[in-house]
Amino acid sequence: MLEFPGQRLRDRYAIAGIGATEFSRDSGRTTRALGVEAVRAAMLDAGLGPGDVDGMLSYHGNDSTASPVIAGDLGIRLNFYMDCSGGGSSIEALIGLAMGAIEAGMCRTVATFRAMNGYTGNRIGGTGRQAPVFTGLSLDQGIHGMHSAAQSFAPSFMRHMYEYGTTSKQVAHVKVAHSKHASNNPRALYPKRVTVEDVLSSRWITKPLHLLDCCLETDNGVAIIVTSAEHARDLRQRPAYIMGVAGRVNKEQPGGYHWTRGPISRVAGGHAAPIVFGQAGIGPEDVDVTGSYDAFTFTTMLQLEAYGFCKEGEGGDYVSSGIIELGGARPNNTSGGHLCEGYTHGIGHVVENVRQLRHQADDYCPGWAQGQHTYDYSEGGCRQVQDVEVTMNLGWASPSTGSALIMHN
Amino acid sequence: MTPHSGSQYLGADVAVASNDPEHLQFLEAAGRGEFVLQQCAECERLRYPIGNACPFCMALGWQWAAVSGRGTVYSYEVVTHPIHPSFRGLVPYVIVLVELDEQRGVPGEHDALRVLGLLVDAEGNPEPEERAGINVRVQVDFADLGDGLALPRFRLADEPSEFPVWRYGYDGAG
Repeated sequence: MLEFPGQRLRDRYAIAGIGATEFSRDSGRTTRALGVEAVRAAMLDAGLGPGDVDGMLSYHGNDSTASPVIAGDLGIRLNFYMDCSGGGSSIEALIGLAMGAIEAGMCRTVATFRAMNGYTGNRIGGTGRQAPVFTGLSLDQGIHGMHSAAQSFAPSFMRHMYEYGTTSKQVAHVKVAHSKHASNNPRALYPKRVTVEDVLSSRWITKPLHLLDCCLETDNGVAIIVTSAEHARDLRQRPAYIMGVAGRVNKEQPGGYHWTRGPISRVAGGHAAPIVFGQAGIGPEDVDVTGSYDAFTFTTMLQLEAYGFCKEGEGGDYVSSGIIELGGARPNNTSGGHLCEGYTHGIGHVVENVRQLRHQADDYCPGWAQGQHTYDYSEGGCRQVQDVEVTMNLGWASPSTGSALIMHN
Repeated sequence: MTPHSGSQYLGADVAVASNDPEHLQFLEAAGRGEFVLQQCAECERLRYPIGNACPFCMALGWQWAAVSGRGTVYSYEVVTHPIHPSFRGLVPYVIVLVELDEQRGVPGEHDALRVLGLLVDAEGNPEPEERAGINVRVQVDFADLGDGLALPRFRLADEPSEFPVWRYGYDGAG
């Protein structure tokens, strides 16, 4: 059996630039316009011009605009590009691919983006507008009434509750925590703080999921710049060094369905953990901030458990203990995440962790851009974590597909 | 690629492509009242859902094998917000993930032949959630799709559960 290469590439690559459009539910623009604005913003953030970027990666679900078009609009000539089919958990894997392309000598600096009209265009949960026909793979799952991500993932949460006594009330704390974070994020689509009772009294989507257990479909474009650590040190921003990356990691899943094998309450992160922690040479106890993918409240919990931030079955206790809130021991999704800031297919979670590592969370502190924060987490205040050194992203596509990324400053 | 035509489910066409004989034969067997799964020609293990190689030994050869269609609910959900137009008139409906009696604990302790299906009553209408739950015993039920095809679903089996039934929202669960 071949072994993983361990820590050979640790700290050799970095994220040097980040950029995003407005998060809205009414962009009124094409994914091309969103992608161009996001990539341009990330380049300017890093202090790069069109001649300084020669690689591009994107991910999509047939709802984006391809790299050559985005690059062409910005006057960039590419030495490497790839537009990959994939949703959540793609970004961590693409950061690894960017490192690989640079390491292979194919290019020097890679812009990676996701551009989608996730609300006004192609809604992930489905629009109900699809042709009413059952064919192909929908004969295995769709024909049984299981169509959206919520409907597909819900049995995993149900089984976790059965096996471990986890409750809806416990995971509602994920929404509560993320809403607290979003209330200190001027860009958040849903900045209102909510209570556990608000979550539990919101309407059912598919039992055991309430409306407020589900994330916010959003129109947006987000981009990041990956380059060598050596190059990043010469650029405009403090580099976020990449310690480890894993993905997209699968569980065993005949037919590609996550419910076919093994305990469905346990997720792919369990397989990604030894890879990413092995590269980084650290463990979960060394991580200051997590970005656990919150397509739903319980997906955050299942992943934190899979990566060892708590013991198996104790995810409900972990997310309801206050640990994941700003001011807690290890805040999660300090932007408000997909539940409250807006749905980005995961790339927004990486951008937020870069902001944290730069001490530049764009909160309501007047001096945030200079790294001056109050650390007062009351509503309309600060969302910078004090003394943050190590962040981790836990990407999710389904219970059987995940990715991870560890960075430090 | 001309699809099999003439079959419908909940008002929508069931169009099995002509290059997809596996799904067609599966639904045809159900039309004859048989619940069949693929069985590996080499290691003889059953598998579900339909696939093009054995996920346990990678062999390509297989044949259909009939199973009892009896099993235990491993997990479930109650859909209240429908997505597909065909299911709008059905909410709330229960989807069960069933572990069939055949081949439980194979190849690993936490493995089984897991099959999805709508939980319906004798008339084919969705069972209320009060009658669903983890560990409930079920048996296969066939929804006629017309033109010789049927879709396996599940209905409650008149037999005691092996383990206590767990229902979300009842007795403090969930």
